[in-house]
Amino acid sequence: MKFDRRYILPGLLILLFLIVAIFPGMFAPYSISDRTATYQAPGADHLLGTDNMGKDIFSLLIYAARWTLMIGFASGLLAVFVGTAVGLLAGWRRGALDEFLMGTTDIVLILPKIPLVIILAAYLGPSPWVLIFVLGLLSWESIARVVRSKVIQIRSSEYILAARCLGFSDCRIMFKEILPVVFPVIVPKFVLVTAAAMISEASLAFLGLSDPQTVSWGGMISDAFTYSGFLRGMWYWWLPPALCIILGVLAITSLAFIHERGVREVMQL
Amino acid sequence: MNKVLARKLVRYAVCLLIVVLLVFLLPRCMPGDPVQCLVGEDVYLTQEILDSVTAKLGLDRPLFEQFQIYIGDLFTGDLGYSYTRHQNVADLIWDRLPWTLLLTGMSMLIGYAFGIIAGTWSGWMTEKKRAKIMTGFGVFVSCIPPYLLGLIFFSVFVYQLGWFPYKGFYETPDFFSVVYHMALPVLTLALFVFARNMIIMRGSVLTEKNQLYPQFAKSLGIPRRKIIYGHVMKNAILPILTHFAIDFGFILSGALFIEIIFSLNGLGRVMYTAVLNLDYPVLSGLFLVIALMAICANLIADILYGIIDPRVKRGDDQ
Repeated sequence: MKFDRRYILPGLLILLFLIVAIFPGMFAPYSISDRTATYQAPGADHLLGTDNMGKDIFSLLIYAARWTLMIGFASGLLAVFVGTAVGLLAGWRRGALDEFLMGTTDIVLILPKIPLVIILAAYLGPSPWVLIFVLGLLSWESIARVVRSKVIQIRSSEYILAARCLGFSDCRIMFKEILPVVFPVIVPKFVLVTAAAMISEASLAFLGLSDPQTVSWGGMISDAFTYSGFLRGMWYWWLPPALCIILGVLAITSLAFIHERGVREVMQL
Repeated sequence: MNKVLARKLVRYAVCLLIVVLLVFLLPRCMPGDPVQCLVGEDVYLTQEILDSVTAKLGLDRPLFEQFQIYIGDLFTGDLGYSYTRHQNVADLIWDRLPWTLLLTGMSMLIGYAFGIIAGTWSGWMTEKKRAKIMTGFGVFVSCIPPYLLGLIFFSVFVYQLGWFPYKGFYETPDFFSVVYHMALPVLTLALFVFARNMIIMRGSVLTEKNQLYPQFAKSLGIPRRKIIYGHVMKNAILPILTHFAIDFGFILSGALFIEIIFSLNGLGRVMYTAVLNLDYPVLSGLFLVIALMAICANLIADILYGIIDPRVKRGDDQ
């Protein structure tokens, strides 16, 4: 298989974000509890200046990578898990169960997500775990649909028939025979859900619905907006986290797009 | 069509029921005092008022009776009372809703019109450099959370260049003042809508392009412009409609965030202050209204779909 060079740039970017997220201590000059003079301009001591609490913005930026990526990937994983299970079951069993599961999928699709997450986060308290849980459980519907249509496509193929004739259990057929075929469709969807979760997280944090104990890029922008970072013209406060969100989402999405194009090319052969 | 529509109507009804149940059950099932959860956490009220709230909502009665009272209230248009703002929630939302709908409607009109045309063009001319640049731009914009786009525009055009005003509407909104204040927010949201629709339309045109009828039309000597915008676009527009239903909620939420950034006098600011003050009645009311609008948008999309695509009417599609 030929390696696609278009993967390199977004791949490297994501790798960089991941390394920074896992080992923030190696890159950040200060810890997030260190405080100095407030509202400093960028300089030799503080690469991006300091915020309203006197914290080093560059260090915050680095520590924030962890929660933003964590929330994105964890809710992406949860969505993949639920969506694949629903799609497999609905596509394999058909009938009333299919009708019920797809009805549920439609309903989840209609629910306005961001207002729903806002009201849930307001009641349940702004913990990152609540966010992961809610975002994950609200974004599986597109995965379920794709998986279902793929399963319906292959369930009548001969090798599945052979497996059934050999007397393999439904469970085994689903996991050993169908799942590997469905997998390539799931990957780009996982990536897109992750990107969408990162965007949602950034939006919620902007509203102030993020745990004050955890730093995230959206939370930094929110702080800059509420604590007069804008009126002071401190672009070095809100622009770097904004760029990080945009670059992260862009890198992740472009992976999905390249992959999907690859799939399409293979299908046409 | 009737069977398909009936099935969809059942789903919408269930969806509405879930939304209402959620708004009803959340404050009542939270640990702690349900009265506090219903009036909001950051307000201090006298015992007298708390007792009257308890009596009005029937909080000392069984859950089912409470639900009956709640549904009865909803049907009379009573969404509760905000003790933080000292205002009826329904009045508050009714007051601000037109401004939000104006922002959303204008942006959608502009974004959809340009997005569909640009998407058709760039889907047809995939090899042209300009089409590639436009597609890249579309992907880039759709990766930016709408409120960030608003922040960037705000800081460049309002803060640095001073082309647009800092704050929302004045007391007396005359036409030019509204245009002056709305221009940048509408542009921001429209750009976002444009990017999304352009990408969807491009993909749709790409698959339409491989069909035989455009080639047939070409062999008949029909001019290219007519083929693209008369025939291909008409067929390729269906996914846009499907996505309209899903996107509506998304665009509306985007509008709320953009209102916060530009200090516009719409539901966004209401939501922002409600989140900051944990004003639960307002948040619940907002969620109900937005969900209702999203369901209506889905219904409209279904009906339009039936009109535009006769295959759905005959039931071939299902």
